Amino acid sequence: MREARRSYGLQTPGTRGMPGAKRYGMVIDLRKCIGCNSCMVACKAEFGVPMGVWRTWVKAADKGTYPNTKRIFMPRMCNHCDYPVCVRNCPTQATYKHKDGFVLQRYNRCIGCRTCMVACPYNARHLIPAKRTGKNLPTQVVDKCTLCVHRVKKGLVPACVQACVGGARIFGDLNDPNSEVAQLAARETLMVLKPELGTSPSVSYIGGDWEIMDEPHSYTNRTARLREEFNTFKRNHDGDAFGDIVEGESTMAEVGKNFVGFLRSIPHKAKEVFDAYVNLYLR
Amino acid sequence: MDESVIISNVFHHVAWGTTIAVYFWLVGASAGSFVVSSFGWVFGIKRYKPLALSASVTAIILLLLVPILLIWDLGKPLRFIYLILPSYWHATGPMSWGTVLIMTYPIAMIVYSYFVIKNNELWAKIIGILSIVLALSTHWYTGVVMELNPGRFLNHTALAPLLFLTGAFISGIGLLVLILWVRNMIVSAARRIEWSLIYEMAQYMMYGLVFDAFLLFLEFMQSIYGSQNEVMGHEEVLLGVFRFPYLWMEIVFGLIVPFVILVSPLKRTRFGVIVASILVAVGVYGMRIWWVMGGQYLQTFY
Repeated sequence: MREARRSYGLQTPGTRGMPGAKRYGMVIDLRKCIGCNSCMVACKAEFGVPMGVWRTWVKAADKGTYPNTKRIFMPRMCNHCDYPVCVRNCPTQATYKHKDGFVLQRYNRCIGCRTCMVACPYNARHLIPAKRTGKNLPTQVVDKCTLCVHRVKKGLVPACVQACVGGARIFGDLNDPNSEVAQLAARETLMVLKPELGTSPSVSYIGGDWEIMDEPHSYTNRTARLREEFNTFKRNHDGDAFGDIVEGESTMAEVGKNFVGFLRSIPHKAKEVFDAYVNLYLR
Repeated sequence: MDESVIISNVFHHVAWGTTIAVYFWLVGASAGSFVVSSFGWVFGIKRYKPLALSASVTAIILLLLVPILLIWDLGKPLRFIYLILPSYWHATGPMSWGTVLIMTYPIAMIVYSYFVIKNNELWAKIIGILSIVLALSTHWYTGVVMELNPGRFLNHTALAPLLFLTGAFISGIGLLVLILWVRNMIVSAARRIEWSLIYEMAQYMMYGLVFDAFLLFLEFMQSIYGSQNEVMGHEEVLLGVFRFPYLWMEIVFGLIVPFVILVSPLKRTRFGVIVASILVAVGVYGMRIWWVMGGQYLQTFY
């Protein structure tokens, strides 16, 4: 099938099937995933990802009614799209598409405007919190999965792939016909997330269940506990510049509370700016 | 078929929140005020000339608040300068276009106001035309910055800039009426703006409301006959979680009630026009809320 070319700005043209070009990607065999979350832990350990944000995570769902039930899992991460929306929307060239298929972030250019987070259809990006344990770690910039480019360039596989006990995550060059991912891609039926958006993801799934991959379904079919936890999560972040409307309380009070939260965030932010200034120039 | 139930997932924030909604509202009101300001000097409607200076000063003040909000909202506020450095400027990013517009638009308005004060017909008209293009573009960009994200199906509509410009026009007039009302109470009798003029502006606002309702109807049609995402976005997000800003703030109290006031005999009373103006200005703020957060909301669970 001929693909529409949608390369803007710092996007290199998509390299799918291009001779001589590399296209690193991942195939996740969901038949082998046991939901142990060790990929999440490995990723957190590899990068020291702060609490509350994730570069990769595992969704779980219960399917069917007793006795015919099944628990299904779906590891999620940045899809390293061939046509990434985040890259073309970044105003400061902070994120770019590497010619080998990685979508990478440059902290020193990022201003934390979160345009890329708004653009990303996969929730793959997050803003690093202001407070971190190490003094020289980046704060308040957008971060994302790098597909462990630092390991790949030394000939290793990404940390999540190495940690996967079931061998569900398979990493490699999708353009190399001898690689395991290319052979799987040739043999199996692959599914990608949100194919209709034309982002052409480099992360694909084998044996995916549409009910866990579908966005509206994920919203409507949640347990009551998950709904309550989400509200708690948002209430805990009251006062941040992120305004959220809490589900089930969509009243005038909620809109007013958000506005008050915005006003209350002003002194917090002023302190952050002051601290940053002190760190930069007066330390 | 048995449906699966999601039992475990991580949570994500809405990336742009109240700050951005307030910014969209202010920049819209600024563009709307400026359009009113240009009636007299650019479009040649003589009776609007006394309004021009108040309106353009309102627009300038509103727009001077905007960069503060935007820089405030950045993760790294001290890095805002990167947006205008040539080596960082990224031509394909909608926010880059906005940076240029937000920087040039107030300058053009200040120059325009200078010629209005100096009573220079020709240059006020030339700079006025330029400023009005910039005013519309600045607000066009706020619609586009969220529209050009194919993943945000509520925002991904070609009507976005039109919805924004219409909202800007009506909220700009609404806010301007309130400011003129306060001004009329303060200044001497000779310098007061005539109420007949303000009533006439309120009628323009009424036409804007009709057009806004039409655009919302188009969006509604598109949503309920649309893909599953669009239907869900309308039913669960706009009429569910964002029911208050969408249904009550924008449609009922921001569109229907002011429209009824402005077609009833109340349209020739100060009370009616002022109440309608307040309702419209607040209603457009409701639209900014669901527009900014609603589009991102559903995906926070994905």
